[in-house]
Amino acid sequence: MSSAYEQPLLLQQRGREAEEEETLAAITDNADLMAEVLGRLDGRSLAAAGCVCRLWAAVSRRESVWEAVCGQHVAGGAAAGAQARPVVAALGGYRRLYRLCLGPALDRLGAGGWPAARLSLSLSLSLFSIECYERRLGRERGHPLPASLLFLGHGNPVDVS
Amino acid sequence: MKREHQDTVHGGRGGGGWYGMAAEIEHEKGKGTMGAGTEDGDVDELLAALGYKVRSSDMADVAQKLEQLEMAMGSSAAANDDALLSHLAADTVHYNPSDLSTWVDNILSELNAPPPPLLPPPHLTAPAPAALDHHQHHLDLSPSAAEQSTITTVDLPTVPRRTPANAYDLKPLPALPAAAGRITYGSDPQSEVAPSPRDRKRMKISNLPSSSSSTTDAATSASSTLPVVVVDSQEAGIRLVHALLACAEAVQQENLKAADTLVKQISMLATSQGGAMRKVAGYFAEALARRIYRPHPRGGVGCSFDSVAFDDMLHMHFYESCPYLKFAHFTANQAILEAFAGCRRVHVVDFGMRQGLQWPALLQALALRPGGPPSFRLTGIGPPQPDNSDALQEVGWKLAQLAETIRVDFRYRGFVAASLADLESYMLLGKDSDDCSAEGEDEEPEAVAVNSVLELHRLLARPGAIEKVLGTVRAVRPRIVTVVEQEANHNGGAFQERFTEALHYYSTMFDSLEGGASADNAGGRDQAMSEVYLGRQICNVVACEGTERTERHETLDQWRGRMSGAGFEPVAIGSNAFKQASMLLALFSGGDGYRVEEKDGCLTLGWHTRPLIATSAWRVAAAAAGDPISSTAR
Repeated sequence: MSSAYEQPLLLQQRGREAEEEETLAAITDNADLMAEVLGRLDGRSLAAAGCVCRLWAAVSRRESVWEAVCGQHVAGGAAAGAQARPVVAALGGYRRLYRLCLGPALDRLGAGGWPAARLSLSLSLSLFSIECYERRLGRERGHPLPASLLFLGHGNPVDVS
Repeated sequence: MKREHQDTVHGGRGGGGWYGMAAEIEHEKGKGTMGAGTEDGDVDELLAALGYKVRSSDMADVAQKLEQLEMAMGSSAAANDDALLSHLAADTVHYNPSDLSTWVDNILSELNAPPPPLLPPPHLTAPAPAALDHHQHHLDLSPSAAEQSTITTVDLPTVPRRTPANAYDLKPLPALPAAAGRITYGSDPQSEVAPSPRDRKRMKISNLPSSSSSTTDAATSASSTLPVVVVDSQEAGIRLVHALLACAEAVQQENLKAADTLVKQISMLATSQGGAMRKVAGYFAEALARRIYRPHPRGGVGCSFDSVAFDDMLHMHFYESCPYLKFAHFTANQAILEAFAGCRRVHVVDFGMRQGLQWPALLQALALRPGGPPSFRLTGIGPPQPDNSDALQEVGWKLAQLAETIRVDFRYRGFVAASLADLESYMLLGKDSDDCSAEGEDEEPEAVAVNSVLELHRLLARPGAIEKVLGTVRAVRPRIVTVVEQEANHNGGAFQERFTEALHYYSTMFDSLEGGASADNAGGRDQAMSEVYLGRQICNVVACEGTERTERHETLDQWRGRMSGAGFEPVAIGSNAFKQASMLLALFSGGDGYRVEEKDGCLTLGWHTRPLIATSAWRVAAAAAGDPISSTAR
């Protein structure tokens, strides 16, 4: 259904595509490639990358990307990830997990001194599950946001639910 | 802020007591002149409009003293009331309230030295050099004698301290006649003019000139049993602790009068401290007061009653503000998780369900364990709730929802029991009525874990209860029993010993709370609520007796003895738990002070060198077990 209005646009696009075929395909425009790349960043850099442009913002919101980021800290790799995925998704997702628990925990623990980074993931998952539970408890009673994660130094927790 | 000698107002009276030096002098060394008052500089305008003359520079000080006055008047209940009020009512001529600072000081001095019987004025005036030396030694004077010339006679330098709270003198025995007198500014020349020990105390040591030392000396000689008092906050802290211990001793010896006075002293002294010590002293003072005034509280006045919901709320705040409960949950969960390895059906019995905060993490860990989650059953025990009997079920419902989202097969049962001793094993083992999959003795027996976080010590209040409960636990044949208890002995027979133990324990606890508070609003509220939570425990340990005293904490070794005696053997808590606990502690902002230690297979969490809470794990001793269930390898 190309209306009279769209025709010229299509022509323009085709023109552009022709151009593009001549230039190198820009990796940065390909969402899936970007997902691969961004998944190798650390949390802070990933969040910063999400501010670059709309495409990157969309990619950086993908759960799979954050799963990769969280998974950097897991020794088990893919296998553990597959099992964990539905659980983490049910508890609120990897992005939230990183933002609320894993990220601050890693910050706190600093670079050195904590050998088994895998433990920090399991600890974060525990804290995350508690947080998820408290949210349910709190919502019923009209409480403010659960405070169990405040000790991680969030300051005023922002409700992103 | 230097307060120079004022009292132009009192010019003609009794030599004109003057005060105001030390703290201020300290700041302005050069200006030693304590001559006649130069009061006029910068009087606060607003107050002047009301008719009060207060120098702007003195405002903070006067405010503090007004606070103290209020406290002193408020706390001089019972014993001194009538005497005090009539005294104050009678002697109005002494004080000119328009000079607020002087007036407040006068009143305070009245309050602290209990009102007359008039003493023959002690020989104030002999500043023996020997005594001077003595005092210099004691009070660590700086040789700035030049600063104050006049003193020898009547006038007591009542130096109001700059720093918050004057430390008041400790009068161990109230019988001492009017504590060697007090200052009456102005009029009655014949009324005692001996320095009130309180005033001595207010003098800042480093600036005490020879003159004041003479007065202290005089006062001391007048009442030789009064200790020489020194004033800085650290000294006051030591005094405070001594007062607390002395009061406990007095209570133990049933010397209630002495104890009563001491309690008041403690309240005063507590104001000189800051932070944790002040709060701890406050709670202990309150508990002591309760014990003194209400030896047989009916219904545990304020100690162990209150709605369960309030209790739960405090517990929740305590959970959030400091790591002790989190540590308990994490380590217990780890032990349970390891015990459940390979089991397809598991059952956890929680002796203190409350909000069920321990279980989401275990559910999550079970969901993620290699091999998939088992079928999970939870039995929660809780106290009866007068208003809302559904809390236990509500918690179960929430946990069920969580379990459903993470795909763990979950069943829940809540039991209301006023005491754990009311439980029988068949109740815990019994299948749910809606457990319709005919699993009589089924394909796989349940693996049972019993979890008790800070619950067992309550049973020690009634004889025989702990044995019954441990027997019930054994009858349930658990794979693992996790016990978390406070690491302290607050169950000693002698009151004084218990008191001392509790003082050390809770001081450390409060210290750790100070360390970890986060700055934002919720953090502050959490900390305050945690302090109330601990305060109630303090009150129970100190003020209650018999079956009402439920906070009967015992040490890990004592619990070891009990568990072994009941047929359990220890299970070492693995290194995984230790690492997780250490990591958890590192996440806390005040985390530097916390220490996780391993002690014979049990984990303790403490603040600096003092362990405060201990997790241990047990199973039924092999010799006594003899059933196929526990033969599965753990």
